Order: sequence, then structure tokens, then C-alpha cells
Amino acid sequence: MVRYGMVIDLNRCIGCRSCAVVCKMVNAQPPGTWWQRVETVGSEEHMVPVGEYPNLSEVFLPVPCMHCENAPCVKVCPVGATWTREDGLVLVDFERCIGCRYCITACPYGVRQFNWQDPDENVRQGFERAGFDSNWYADGEYRYGYPVDHRTEDGRLVYTNKRPRGVVEKCTFCVQFVDQGISPACVRGCPGNARIFGDLDDPDSEISKVLKDRSAFRLLEDLGTEPKVFYIPPARKEGKGGVRYGEKI
Amino acid sequence: MNVTRRDFVKMCAVGAVSAGISSRYFQIASSQTSGAETSEIKFVRSTCSPNCTGACAYNAMVYKGRITALIQASDYPESEYSPRGCLKGQSMMNLIYGPDRLKKPLIRTGERGEGKFRAVSWDEALDYVADKLTEIMKKYGPESIALSIQVPGTGYVHKGAAIRLASMFGWSVLHGYTMNGDLPAFWSQTFGVQTEELESLEWTNSKYIAVFGSNLLVTRLPDAKFLSIARERGAKVIMVDMNFTPTAAKADEWIQINLSTDAAFALGIVNVIISEKLYDENFVKTYTDLPLLVRLDNNKKLRAQEVKALKDEAEKMKKEIPEYRDLFVVYDVSRGFSIVNPETLERDFEPALEGEFEVELVDGKRVKVKPVFQLIKELVTTEYTPERVAEIITPPGRDKAEYARMVVRIAREMATTKPLHIVYGASNYQWFHGDLKGRALSLIIALTGNLGKPGAGISTYAGQFKIRWPLGMWWLFKGRKPNWVTYLLWMNEEYRNSEEFKKYNRETPYPKNGVKAFVFGWNNPFDQHNMANKLKEMAKSGELELILAIDFQSTTSTQWADVVLPGVAWYEKYELTATILHPYVQLQQPAIEPLFECMPEIWIFKELAKRLVERWDDQELKAQIEEFYPDPSLFRKEENARANGAWNLKLAREIANEASLKATELMLGKHDLTKGITLERLLKEGAVRLNLPAPNKRQILFWEQIHEKKPFPPPSFPAPLPKTARFVKSGRIEFYKDEDVFIDFGETLPVHKDPFVDTEWKRNPESRNKYRYAFITRNALYRVHSTHSNNITMLELQDFRPRIWMSPETAREKGIKQGDLVEAYNDRGRVRGYAVLDSGIHPSVIIFEQGWWSRYLRGDSYNTLTYPWVKAIHLAYFVPGIWEPTTVWNECACDVRKL
Repeated sequence: MVRYGMVIDLNRCIGCRSCAVVCKMVNAQPPGTWWQRVETVGSEEHMVPVGEYPNLSEVFLPVPCMHCENAPCVKVCPVGATWTREDGLVLVDFERCIGCRYCITACPYGVRQFNWQDPDENVRQGFERAGFDSNWYADGEYRYGYPVDHRTEDGRLVYTNKRPRGVVEKCTFCVQFVDQGISPACVRGCPGNARIFGDLDDPDSEISKVLKDRSAFRLLEDLGTEPKVFYIPPARKEGKGGVRYGEKI
Repeated sequence: MNVTRRDFVKMCAVGAVSAGISSRYFQIASSQTSGAETSEIKFVRSTCSPNCTGACAYNAMVYKGRITALIQASDYPESEYSPRGCLKGQSMMNLIYGPDRLKKPLIRTGERGEGKFRAVSWDEALDYVADKLTEIMKKYGPESIALSIQVPGTGYVHKGAAIRLASMFGWSVLHGYTMNGDLPAFWSQTFGVQTEELESLEWTNSKYIAVFGSNLLVTRLPDAKFLSIARERGAKVIMVDMNFTPTAAKADEWIQINLSTDAAFALGIVNVIISEKLYDENFVKTYTDLPLLVRLDNNKKLRAQEVKALKDEAEKMKKEIPEYRDLFVVYDVSRGFSIVNPETLERDFEPALEGEFEVELVDGKRVKVKPVFQLIKELVTTEYTPERVAEIITPPGRDKAEYARMVVRIAREMATTKPLHIVYGASNYQWFHGDLKGRALSLIIALTGNLGKPGAGISTYAGQFKIRWPLGMWWLFKGRKPNWVTYLLWMNEEYRNSEEFKKYNRETPYPKNGVKAFVFGWNNPFDQHNMANKLKEMAKSGELELILAIDFQSTTSTQWADVVLPGVAWYEKYELTATILHPYVQLQQPAIEPLFECMPEIWIFKELAKRLVERWDDQELKAQIEEFYPDPSLFRKEENARANGAWNLKLAREIANEASLKATELMLGKHDLTKGITLERLLKEGAVRLNLPAPNKRQILFWEQIHEKKPFPPPSFPAPLPKTARFVKSGRIEFYKDEDVFIDFGETLPVHKDPFVDTEWKRNPESRNKYRYAFITRNALYRVHSTHSNNITMLELQDFRPRIWMSPETAREKGIKQGDLVEAYNDRGRVRGYAVLDSGIHPSVIIFEQGWWSRYLRGDSYNTLTYPWVKAIHLAYFVPGIWEPTTVWNECACDVRKL
């Protein structure tokens, strides 16, 4: 059986937020909604270092949905709208979600978003904050995002570019692409080549090989959520004297 | 803008109907299989190419005539390059469809800068412009029209068409490379070229990467991963920068130094390399001017024809070499004084690098001479010992003795870990003495022989203006040539009238009646140009009689224009791109038909040319005008349609697309570098590598010089070789410059000079105490210069507000807290933003991220603080964009206060 997972190499991550942006664009997230975020660990502002001279550091951490094996969001959903598909993807059925938001409270990673209002209202408010009055898009009907609804084999609506008010949404590992054998947008859109997506159960898959060779960690591992997103920690730096010489050259 | 909502809706309909523009050139990268609706999704491969010049391959996801998403195409022949692209390119739809998208041609109705326009027909707008331009050309001469376009390498066809138009009448082209300050002047001074660099894939072959003030992780997003890969393969990366940056965070070591003191650091390194004999003697003797002799009496290099014993031989040789070469002399250890053939780097002499010699001149006078190497050795052993260097570079409060030890350690590391690659950042060379720093860094590379090898060299990655092959066949109309105007001289009348300018200017032209009309496309000068306020004054006072803007969206600058002509975004046209940094030729292809009444720029320039020719008394041009399009039959086809009432926008666009493809074909295959690269291949393969001389066609600098012993410089297109070869008359890498201006300013050899001394403090001595901070306008993650300033997704990532970064120390001193609204200012201007306290920032630095449009800055412009400093050395020659005065944004003193 296929079991999808993702590795994010923090050595390769350059903190550019392209993953968050391509995710937002492809998955039609209006202003105010982000399925993924990339932050500088410990810092109030992105790309501002933490620590004191000379021990300053910036570690960038992208956080998509962890697609946990033991997903707390699935357990608390009273209507079975959030479920784990056989291939390991944790999905939301937009037609079944009643908007109770238990899952948002249960998720320790804070990756779930709630549609308090019609997404067009987000668009309007976004443009208003950006200083535009009414004509949000010059081509008024234009909205970005994968244009076609996507349903699972058993007919559950897991992607639509216009999410109704009152539903919860989150990263789907781009289920609409995965079902066509294409990697998630964040994997294809990462200029740092920091992400590997694939089948954790296939010992020959790239992801399995990488996880075998390198030490990886998962976020909040002690909670027992068993995330399927793995991180390769930033390597120790060579630092001063990293190139070593004898006494004489 | 006075375009009604109803107009928009009408135009939207036009855009939507033309969903699947059927063209024989249309390339569908892949299509989805299941379901009727998914099969309607098409993918079109194009190239994102704003002024980062990244030229990243994208697939546009097109559904019902609209681009719904953009994802990197990931189809580069070297898979390591995939995926190229970043958050800006991925959200480009926000600009194409955004609220600022232009819809129709506009003519100003209100005051300049007020932003009041009426929407007009193309005919009305073009005739209006043609009338005005003709009037100005007749009154002040065609050279009084200044044309500014940005980075032609990102658009050979349409940006080329603008130059083509300028060449017809002899307008003055304003070279963006120097206006932007992207020209690293040390290249032409040292190597005789505009710029050179390693392609980023080559970084992975380096064993030591020393980054001097280049924030690659933010400014070179698609390439930054190669730093990580280099480290994975065992390279050491050091970052020398006054400030901590994401790039410093990735580096093995961050070395903080004082502002603009890199030359001192580099010369300290040279000191250690020379005193510990870590240099590559053969390389130095073969490829550089270090063995050439310099006269101590006049500081000029010794010419062979001056030497009594060599005069006859020199006169004979002189006839066999091009006039841009000169014959210099070395002291051969067995033969004594010998002439160096400047036309080859094959070495048939064994020169002394050290010592002092006496030579008898033709007139019998005996003068003392020394090899350049000896002079450098004397310079660094007296002025640039590690201890003295530490005095200069050590930031306040740090241990100078530790810095002195660090200089020695880094010098040993750099000299012995090969290949070594130095990246010299634009933010670092955009200082008044940026050329000196580049010359000093180049000296490290030359002494250690790190050239002509994979992973070795020195690179600058800003601007990327270099044209990859000669393009006169398209850019110049029937061989006609445009004139040139230097932006800094235009802005700086005070300098233009100064004694210094009169004394040192050799060739730099200036329109005799000044600049009277300003025509610009693909740029936003009223925010982005140095002294944007001065431009606004010229607009307000009427000194500029016409301002014409061509853009696909409304910007600060279109608001200042008299006429705005709506162009198109990539994804709406055919275009040829070949930028450097990666060595591919690629196409842009239309994924959608242009929105509203926007038109491909080639058509706009063709129409302007046609209408100007009708009004301008030049029979030759009148007879040739059909040839503005590369195929005259295309021109005639459109005119015929006009004549019989069959003309419409759609037809004009189709013809323009055909013409764009013809122009592409015209430019390809004519030069060795593009041999075998055809339009068909580009359409089929996406990206095709240029035929570069190094193995595997890799972009490795000076391969032919090092391996085939061809003299320096390789040509810098489009300039003919004689124009640039005279910069390095010896045919070698030159560290000793003996033009009078270098001697007068004490810069014959690379030296360190403190920032502000020759600029701010000289012009206004009070500024030394009044403005103690350097105003650094760095590049933002969220913009490509000012492009994407209005991208709503990028704005959201910045909480919709500009910031001003400073060290916690500065903030404490000024009573500023994180998030406070603060103002950076000097006597010239100001900019406001919200304070960010950053302990990685040097205590003498205030940072603002350039590119914000003034509408997000309460009407201010950060370029009101900057000043058009001109360095006299940059007037020694004039080759546009190659040897020309260049903007130094960071040479700008300011203070900061809480509001």
C-alpha cells in the first residue's frame, strides 16, 4: 500500500517562502489564508537572526500539514469530515464539514484554517488593506487557483477553488495532483530542492532512501501524532578553522 | 484613471473569448487525462523574466483563457537547475490580473503626477505622441529624447525594438546598467570586460566560496541552493558582510567588517599571500601585468618605444598589432629588458617579479623602473599588514588582535583551498570606491591562479546586462546607431559644470540641448531611479516636454507620464531571453491573449516608428519603414488591413506575434555562440545552452584566455572589441592603471579608501557629524526591485508595511522600539517605515528595502536620499554600460528618528 510522506531538508531550505506562495496560488487561498508557513525559528520577524554576536543564527522552518499517522484532528471530527485516506493523506470533505472547528483546536501544528466568511470577502479585505478601493482584480471575475473541483474515488469533495463559508481547510499534499501522479506544488515549486515527496512504504523510493541514510526528526514527536513530514536538521557548521592545516603550509 | 467599470467588463469579455489562441507555435507541455474539465486545462511553457534576470522556466496553467496558476517548468537539460523560480514568479497572476493592470492608452488630463488621465484609442495616443516627439526632435534635435529600457537581455525582441526605434532617429539611450549602479567598474578596469561570472551550477565545483557582501539567498533565489550543494560536497563558504543575512546564516563563517572596507581586507589577504609566497608564480607571470615595468619618475608603465635598446624592435612590432594595444616591457632574468607581445598570452620570457632596475630611454635619460608586482608588494607590506587592516575593518567593540589573526587565517585558507570562487555583491560595489574593492578582490583571484577552471574565479551577479551575442541585425535599424546619455550626468548638473568634469571627461557625450523628452518602458524611474525627486521636479517644471511610459500596469511612473501606452506581460507575447548567470537561450510564449487593449511592445514601437517617419523629413527612412518589422510583408499586411477596414486588435496582435518570431529567427544562428540554436529547437526543448567555449559549454570565465592564450579581453557585446580592448592595452589582467586620472587620484593600484570622505563629507563637511549612518537600500525577498511592490500576496507577507532595520544599539540611542514608525532622512529627503531591531546589523547602518512604490510610503521615495555621485575615473573612456559613471546607491549618509 502507498503511504505518502514528505522530507524537508533544512540545510537546503533558504527560507524564501516560495512553497507557501505556490501553495496559496495553486490551492486558491485568498488573502488571510495560508496552508503553509515558513518562519525563522525563534524570531519575531522573518529573516532576522536570533542570538547574540557572534552566535547569530537563522533557521528557517516550513510547516505544512504533517499528515499525521495518528492524527488528532481525525479523532475529534464529530462527522467524519476529516479522515485519513488509505494512502496516508489527511483530507477534509468540504461537503461534510460542519465548521465546529474541533480539529483546529486539536491540531498541535496550527495548520488548519477556518473560512469565517466567503473567500471573496477575504479578497476584498486584502485589497482594501493594500490600498485599493473596489476594483480588486482588473479582470473582475479572475481568481487564481487550480480551476477544477476534485473528488476522491468515493466521491468526497476534497478540493474546490471556492471554499464555502464555514468550512475548515488545510494542506492536502495537493491531492488533486497526487491523484494524477504529480507531486505537490510545494515540492515542484521549491527552488532550494529542499523537499522530497514519495511513498514511505516503498523501500526503493527516494524518500525512503533519504530517511534511511540521514537522521531526521519530526515536529512535536513526543505527542505521539506520528507525523509523515520529516525534517533533516541543519548540519553543524565548519566554523573557524574549518579548513585545517598543519603548523606549516 | 478614468476608465469606466463598463469598459473593463467589455474588455474582459474580449480576453475570455480568445481562450485557446491557436498558433502553430503553441506548445502544450503536458495535459491532464481524466475528466472533461481537467482536459480543458492547458499548460504553456514560458520564461519569467523581470529584472532579477533569473529567466526561470514556468508552466502557465491556463483554463478558459485565464492563467490560474504558475509552476516552475523544471525542464532544464541539466536537471540540477530545476526548478528555477520563486515566490514572485509563482504569484505573477496578481500583476497580470491585478487592479493596476492597464487597459487602454491614456493621455494625461490633470497636472503631472496627479494621476488623472482619459482613456483614448490607440490611434489617438500614438498620433499624439508622434506629434509631440517630432516637435521636440525638430526643436532640440533627436538626441534630446532619452530612452530608458531595463535589462534588454530579458527581452531581445521587444526591448530590442525600442532600441531599433531609437537608432532610426538617433535618440539618446540611457543605459540602465549604469543608471542602476549594476556596472561593477572594476571589470573593465581589470579585465577589460563588462562583467563575467560562473554559472551557478559551477558553484558546486568550488572548494572555497568567499561571498563579499552578496545576499544570494534573497537576491538569487533559484541559484542559492548551489551554495548548499557546494557545502554538502565539502566546500567551505564564508560570508564577509557588515550585516548578518540569510546567506551569512548558511555560511560556515560570517565575518563582520566595517562598511565598505573590503579592499583593506582583500589587500591584507594579498599581504599574507605574497609574504608567505602562496601565490601561483606561473599564473602571475603569464596572465597578468604584474611583471610589467612601471617608471618611477612619472608613474606610467614603461612603453617599449621609449626604451633606447628596444625602440627599433618596438616600431616594427607596433605595425603588426592593433592600435588599441601597447607594447610594454618586462625585465627578463636572462635577456634583460624585453618587449611583451600584447596579442598572445603564450609566454616566451622569464620576467623578474621583484626588484628595481634602471633603463635608458630614447633621449638618453636613465630612469628607475619596478615591476608591478614589486609595487604591490611594497604597498601591502607597508599599508596593509594584518594589524593595520584590522584597524580599518574591525567593527566597533570587537577585538582587533583577533581580527588581525583572522586575516592571516582566511588568507591561508583562500590561497590554498582550490578552486576558490569569490562572489562580489552589488550592494558592496555600489559605493563610490566599489571599483577599488573589486580590483583588490580580483588580485586575490589572480595571485592564486583561480581562473579558467571549473568552480574558480570572481563573479558579480547584479543587473546581468551583458548581451550574449551581437544583435545589431535586429536592434539597429539598417545599421543606424542611437546616441547615448549618461543618467548620472543628466541628474547632476552641478558635476556636469564642474572643473573636474571638464578636466577628466574624454568621451562621455551629453545632448547639446539637454534631455527634453523621457521615454521609458519596463521600468519605474519615478520610484527607482537615483534622485527620483529630481525627475519629479523636471516633470513639474516643464523642463521635460514629454514623458511617455510603456508598461503593462499602472505604476508610480505611469502616474507621472503624459501618455501611457499599455504593453503586455510575459505570458502574453513571444520573446527571446538569454540572460547570464545561467547560460540558456529561452522563449517566452503567449499563454493567453493580451488583456484588454494591451499590445505587444514590438507593435507599439513599430507604430511609433511609422508615425514618426511620416512626420520627419528623412526620405531614406520613409522608403525603408516597412522594414521595421523583420519581414516587410507583415508590415504591409497590417497596412492593407487598415486600408480596407479589416484591421482590428486581434489581427494586429497576430501579426506582431509573427513579427516577434521572425525577429527571434533573425537573431539566432548568426554567431558561433548561437550556431545550431533555432526557433524550432527552443519551442521543442525549452532551454538550449549557448555554445560557450569551455567543456560541456559551461560558463567559466576567461576559458579562452587561460587555455587558448587569447589576449584579454574577450568581447563584451554589443561593443566592438577595439572599444573595450583599449581598457587593457597589454592584453593582460591589469592591476596597475596608468591613465592620468588614476595617477591623479592615487588609484594606480587597488587601495582602500574610506566611504563618504570623497562624497558626502567633501560636499558637506557638516554631514560627518549630522548623518552618522549609512543608508543601505537592499533588495527585498518580496520584490524584484519595484516589480511586485503591488503584488497582494507579497504585501500580505510583509503585513502590508515597509520596515526600517537597525541595530538594537542604534535603536537604544535613538529611543526607538520594535514596531515604532521611524524616519530615515538627510538633507535631501526622507523615507518612513516601521522599526525592526536586528542584532546582525552593523551599528552604523540603517537599512531600507528598496522597491516600495511611493504610494505605500506616504508619498515619499527612498531615492530622495540618494545622490548621483560621479567618480572621475569613470570618465576616462566611454562605452555605454561598460565604462561609464555608475550609480552608487549605498554612498548615502543619513540619520534616523522616531516619529
